[in-house]
Amino acid sequence: MAARKRAGERPAKAGAAPQPSDEEIARLERLLALMNEHGLTELELGQDGRSVRMSKSGPATYAVGAPLAAPAGNPAAAPAAPAKAAKAAGDPFLSPMVGTFYRAASPEAKAFVMEGDLVKSDSTLCIIEAMKVMNEIKAEKPGKVLQILVENGEAVEYGQPLFLIQR
Amino acid sequence: MFRRILIANRGEIALRVMRACHQLGVEVVAVYSEADKGARYLRLAHDTICIGPPRSAQSYLDIARIVSAAEVADVDAIHPGYGFLSENSHFAEVCRSCNITFIGPSPEAIDLMGDKSKAKAVAKKAGIPTIPGSEGPVTSEKEAIEVARQFGYPVMIKAVAGGGGRGMRMAHNDVSLVNGYFAARNEAEAAFGDSGVYLEKMIEKARHIEVQFIADGHGQVFSLGERDCTTQRRHQKLIEESPSPVVTPELREQLGAAARSLCRQANYVNAGTVEFLLDMSGRFYFMEVNARIQVEHPVTEEVTGLDLVEAQIRVAAGERLPWRQEEIRIEGHSIECRINAEDPDSGFKPSPGLITTWIPPGGRNVRLDSHAHAGYRIPSFYDSMIGKLIVRGRTRDEAIATLQRALDEFVVEGVKTTIPLHREILRSEAFRLAKMDTKYVETHLLGDGSR
Repeated sequence: MAARKRAGERPAKAGAAPQPSDEEIARLERLLALMNEHGLTELELGQDGRSVRMSKSGPATYAVGAPLAAPAGNPAAAPAAPAKAAKAAGDPFLSPMVGTFYRAASPEAKAFVMEGDLVKSDSTLCIIEAMKVMNEIKAEKPGKVLQILVENGEAVEYGQPLFLIQR
Repeated sequence: MFRRILIANRGEIALRVMRACHQLGVEVVAVYSEADKGARYLRLAHDTICIGPPRSAQSYLDIARIVSAAEVADVDAIHPGYGFLSENSHFAEVCRSCNITFIGPSPEAIDLMGDKSKAKAVAKKAGIPTIPGSEGPVTSEKEAIEVARQFGYPVMIKAVAGGGGRGMRMAHNDVSLVNGYFAARNEAEAAFGDSGVYLEKMIEKARHIEVQFIADGHGQVFSLGERDCTTQRRHQKLIEESPSPVVTPELREQLGAAARSLCRQANYVNAGTVEFLLDMSGRFYFMEVNARIQVEHPVTEEVTGLDLVEAQIRVAAGERLPWRQEEIRIEGHSIECRINAEDPDSGFKPSPGLITTWIPPGGRNVRLDSHAHAGYRIPSFYDSMIGKLIVRGRTRDEAIATLQRALDEFVVEGVKTTIPLHREILRSEAFRLAKMDTKYVETHLLGDGSR
């Protein structure tokens, strides 16, 4: 959610489109290959004031049961996610609610978990503040924290991957 | 004016509110459930937030999730659309306590209008004729029989917390009254968590006429003509039009004055609708107030030239509406058809799924408010309405002709829709001659024997 700044891309789209260079065509081909590799039907990428949206014809499908790292219906998040998921062996730990993500109980306190930590089912991974309530989010299953995907204080939405955890 | 508004709704009305925000230059935050993920209308928002799983109880109806989305997105106001939380006074109150403006009436006004017995009392105070019936809920079958005998059968049994035809029964005698009393109570308990029911005299062959009003926070109250929603199926509106073909200018002024007086009496600010029943002799009776923007608001927009959603937002932002009642004119005629993904041939069963073909109508005087398109998958979790086809003309006949050709142009494949039923209604003499009543579609066109 926080990464989505589509409003800012619009002026670029509205301007006259220059002819794509060979380099750009090569880039588009690489994107297309990435889309195929990850089974995406749609991809949107904004960079340096320019943006591209690629969409394959045929019925759009929701990513029900599909790997969560490749959200077909969430174009803005798509470009960054596949690269991370491709390397990491862990399972994404998804946010159970909308709110603000905190890694520690207070600004002075130590973070609940660091990358590389082993966690138990009842270990607290983070706090999500929703409507002034601090909700402690538990790991639910034991495992090893491979990666923390969200910055402290960042707003998170329901279903957003927060951690990669090796179970 | 607000800087950023969150829309606590989905589909057609979310898109409608977004359009108003864009025209006002206000940023839009759209929330969505996992079932609506990737929906095309969400692209028009400046920011989108997934708030929960498909079931509306855990997404669009979950006050905590919506308010925390509003907080993380840092919005000044929330537009609730219609349905979902639009008439939930607790939601309006939570918004107020979080310093977020709820774009709609105050929690107090919602409560007053939401309780049908209280609303009726307010209407009486405002000098509006009400349907004879029990004063407040009836608490036993004995009391129900007493009340019914007082003003004579047939009577309607209605849920205090009701709407959409649920918790509602008709009774012609003591026996059907007692049966209906218990059936309505059970249905009301199941549907609304409140088994309270009240009785009303049944107004036969009535027309459903409603008046749009809007009040600003500067003491101004406006009525914006009426809508005729007589074409229904089992209390579900199918076609709405403005003006009503049976309302004379004198009656329009009376209805408008009644709506304005009720609005003042209730201290109501923002847009709302008063529903009336009009009997065969031209007498009207107060039915209820809908404390929200309604599905059928576009027909009023088409004949008045005013943008009601924009007006709602301006009023909520504290602006004074730059209108004068005597300058509000009803020009021409507008008709709306609700396009539902339902199968009229098999009991109006919802028909969710993938829209494979979508060829929308166009041309002069045609407006289509819809979030659907070819390739759109209609989720099975929500209302089956996928769009509203609205037309206008200088006269009613011209509007009907435009609507007929627009319906003929409209092609939707992959799911069943109510488009063929609308074509049939428009062909019927009763509709053309404005001789409909609220039971006409089920008794004459569908032969719904199941009633």
